[in-house]
Amino acid sequence: METRFQRIFLAAVLALGPSLAWAERDILEDIASPEVERRHVKESKLDSENFELGVFYGLFSVEDFGSNPVMGLTLAYHATERVFFEAAYGVTETRETSYELLSGSVALLTEDEREYRYYNLSLGYNLFPGQIYLSENWTFNTNAYIIAGAGNTTFAAQEYFTYNLGAGLRLYTTDWLALDISMRGHVFTHELLGREVQVNNLEARMGVSVFF
Amino acid sequence: MRAAARVVSAPATRHLWAPLWLLALSLGLVFASPAQAKPLQVSVNSAYIDVYTGPGRGYPIFHVVERGEQITLLKRRTDWIKVETRRGQQGWIQREALRHTLGPDGLPPTMVDPGQSDYLARRFELGVSVGDFAGADSLNASLGYRFTPQLTTELRVGQNTGQYSDSRMATLGLLHQPFPEWRVSPFFGIAAGRIKTLPSATLVEAQDREDNLLQASLGTYVYLSRRFFLRVEYTNHQILTSRETNEEINEWKLGFNVFF
Repeated sequence: METRFQRIFLAAVLALGPSLAWAERDILEDIASPEVERRHVKESKLDSENFELGVFYGLFSVEDFGSNPVMGLTLAYHATERVFFEAAYGVTETRETSYELLSGSVALLTEDEREYRYYNLSLGYNLFPGQIYLSENWTFNTNAYIIAGAGNTTFAAQEYFTYNLGAGLRLYTTDWLALDISMRGHVFTHELLGREVQVNNLEARMGVSVFF
Repeated sequence: MRAAARVVSAPATRHLWAPLWLLALSLGLVFASPAQAKPLQVSVNSAYIDVYTGPGRGYPIFHVVERGEQITLLKRRTDWIKVETRRGQQGWIQREALRHTLGPDGLPPTMVDPGQSDYLARRFELGVSVGDFAGADSLNASLGYRFTPQLTTELRVGQNTGQYSDSRMATLGLLHQPFPEWRVSPFFGIAAGRIKTLPSATLVEAQDREDNLLQASLGTYVYLSRRFFLRVEYTNHQILTSRETNEEINEWKLGFNVFF
């Protein structure tokens, strides 16, 4: 029994010992050395946070194929206070066309082919920096931006070169955590229904992102 | 005492606990210790510096730090620096304002402005481009490694989407820039790789095929600013098909390159 207690005390002393010594040294340092260090400041030592990684969730409407939830990832690089580059990847499902629903038995696509995936690279421009006032003492920085780019869509076992255009509002809850509400239009041409048509698939989404 | 007895009844676990506590505490010490760099502090050396609420000229100025006042530099985003004043107020100052401050050694902070010449010495290059691949739309990404100012090896992946077929390609090549220091600096390159062609599903008898691919390129870099270049390129593709004749495809593309 006794040895057990001893052991506990010993462990505690061993564990706390260094930290106590540390505290002591800190105090001594404060008293004994009045800031004599003449350090040179280099900007490169400063942590820079220009990358932004985000996830989003929203509603994606595919012309003729219904509206469905969409989710995806974004990675952005902020080059200047105005300009940023964004890579995005998103996945959504599509539904039967009205024609398939009305006819009852016709299926234009298989289950796998109904999955809709896209990726794109876009150039964004922070158009209106601003602030939102939630209360007297609570202010958040915001940025309204426009964005455009190009990418690819995989849908119905086909690939489509896709342009995207959009706008959004980014709200900074802190410097490194932002909420994003945005709309995108994904434009491409397909021949799935027999004739060549240009479609603009609209996406409304909300996202969360961290800067690092 | 009863509690102690209960503890003793499980000696094996307690044996484990002591070293675990030690470990946890020492880990705590390591992380809490001043291993983290000391804060970077400077003092203002101009009449005043404006402090903005956010990292951009559009955000309001809510505070001013005056000559002699000390500020702590917290982090950087694009051309803005987050600072904390002596009274604990946090805000953003323009990076350029840092030139009008003095470090503890009485000198302004060292600032590096990346320019074109720096990036000739840098090693890595990342690029994206869009183009016209004989009527199909092409999207390309590339990663380059510059082992001399003139020579770059480049890994490229591309995706082309056309009316009759889609294709994906991956190549590895060599790029030569005879005058890398010019603002508009021409280059030529050769590359080899694979191309996978996927004919449109609407074409009935067509099959997917994979072939070897040779590329010859001619183009130019145009220095934009800081670490960004524009790149215009013409590429001649020779697809070594298993059929009688090889396929030749011309591609034009325009893209951005970033140096690291």
